[in-house]
Amino acid sequence: MASTSISVSAAESPAFSFSASTFQKLHPVEFFRKFISQGVRPDGRLLEGFRPTTVHKNVVSTANGSAMVRIGGTTVICGVKAEVAEPKMDSPNQGYLVPNVELSPMCSSSFRPGPPSEQAQAVSEAINRVLKESKVLDLTDLCIEEGKAVWALWADVSCVSYDGNIYDAALLSVMTALSDVRIRKPTYNEGIIKVSGAEILDDENSFTLNLARTPLSATFSLFDSSMALLADANAAEEAICQGEISVTLDEKGQICALSKVGAASSSQTLLRQCIATARTRTDELRSIIRSQ
Amino acid sequence: MDRKRVPGPELTVPPLVEYALDQKRWSPQEECRHDANRQPEDLRPIYLKTGLISQASGSAYIELEKTKIACGVYGPRPIKKSGYGFSGTGTLNCEFKFATFACVKRRNHIRDPQERELSMILTQALTPAVRLELLPKSAIDVYITVLECDGLSSCFAAAITAASVALAHAGIEMIDLVAACSASYVIMDRTLSSAVPPPSTTSDSAPAAVSLRPPTIIMDADLEEEKFEEGSIMVAYMPSLNEVTHVLQNGKVDRSIVSQSVEHCIEACNKIYAVMRHALVESIDEKQTR
Repeated sequence: MASTSISVSAAESPAFSFSASTFQKLHPVEFFRKFISQGVRPDGRLLEGFRPTTVHKNVVSTANGSAMVRIGGTTVICGVKAEVAEPKMDSPNQGYLVPNVELSPMCSSSFRPGPPSEQAQAVSEAINRVLKESKVLDLTDLCIEEGKAVWALWADVSCVSYDGNIYDAALLSVMTALSDVRIRKPTYNEGIIKVSGAEILDDENSFTLNLARTPLSATFSLFDSSMALLADANAAEEAICQGEISVTLDEKGQICALSKVGAASSSQTLLRQCIATARTRTDELRSIIRSQ
Repeated sequence: MDRKRVPGPELTVPPLVEYALDQKRWSPQEECRHDANRQPEDLRPIYLKTGLISQASGSAYIELEKTKIACGVYGPRPIKKSGYGFSGTGTLNCEFKFATFACVKRRNHIRDPQERELSMILTQALTPAVRLELLPKSAIDVYITVLECDGLSSCFAAAITAASVALAHAGIEMIDLVAACSASYVIMDRTLSSAVPPPSTTSDSAPAAVSLRPPTIIMDADLEEEKFEEGSIMVAYMPSLNEVTHVLQNGKVDRSIVSQSVEHCIEACNKIYAVMRHALVESIDEKQTR
């Protein structure tokens, strides 16, 4: 017996002397669990730590409003373009606000060329719901001539680099770009809409959007059955986490949207904890936007 | 009807822009370029950086003042598409896409024929430099997104430059980098030809008057300058081998001007090459300090 146990351990010992990166590739979940049991994450963050975030306004001059957002390795650019469209028959004085998120194959190897993936559709739809249900923008502000012409705002988010947490980044970029929008004042004359070509835009010849509120979000991932809560997961963490909780709050701390997706179960206390952390995180994001 | 995106109105159009009569707008009559500080042979300052996309094998970002382009390279990776069979050499796929907000008029999410054509040209311009014979059965995917476009042919030339830097950054073996540059032919002094609108009676003398005034070759034209161009040329060139990989010339122009502009472009490509090399050396330094 003694001899066999020695030979087994001798045979096993080289198998356990992997480098850390090999171990991560072979057993990603085990690798993460080792870190999380110590209360840290492989990139050095604490469990509730968010990645450094930067926001830049007015980065694309061909758009009416634009913003670039970086959350760690995730970079998104939102450009809002205002074009003229015919209003719907049942809402003749309402314009359009159409958000779409594009996860192109450029930003990560997990996306394929072709029509938008399910993930891209889900994020686009989630942002559309937040904008619509929490009445961010009064669409009658976009009316040019009732029943004839309205503004259509295309808020397109283009993902340049993907490293997890696309919902927070996309929503932050859409809201910042909307606050940056400046549209030339239109004149309507027998079906033709004209705007002035003045080089300098001021309040005389253009207008900005009147946003009722600015919903911003914080996303947490649920790791494993231990219900460890990881704030702002990156792509590698997203891949091994089972669930996700997104909390969207406006500046008064009112909840605009709350979603919990995935197979992991959560408790009420966990949800309360998420909302409390989201409050401080969205306040932090607001001060980042203001300082810009 | 696109069912996989948030639906918007079927048709939207940009509003007509009306300029005040007293508003000063640039035109080639002023004998200077749109950016008055630039001489005809001057390029815009180039900002080139690698490693922007963390998940890609290689990536590059290029900025020529307003023009902004991001490029990501994935591979070499196995060909996933079925029906391609065995291939002794690797394949290089390029996908060129404008962001919907990149141009003056909004672009669609779905690739239009122009983007498809530019993707094909991009593949042709880059393939001669890549050693695809070393990568049988595999594919290299180059994805380019134009975030803002200020001048179409200069934007396209910048895309080639960025793509070749991204390929090098991905560690793919190449025989040389490909630098690209564009030039436009603009008749700088229009006092003769523009004062008289296309005459119907003196149709014989009018073209002669125009041809007397040869167009000026202006390098790296921006959008305003492109509006007045007679034609344009784009040259992709491998600087250390002194070989041209692609020439694209549009518009009717004299033969001597074409050969002259090719020389100008090659000269400019050598300048761009220095910037590309600098960006790559910088990326190696960053890797070492990390």
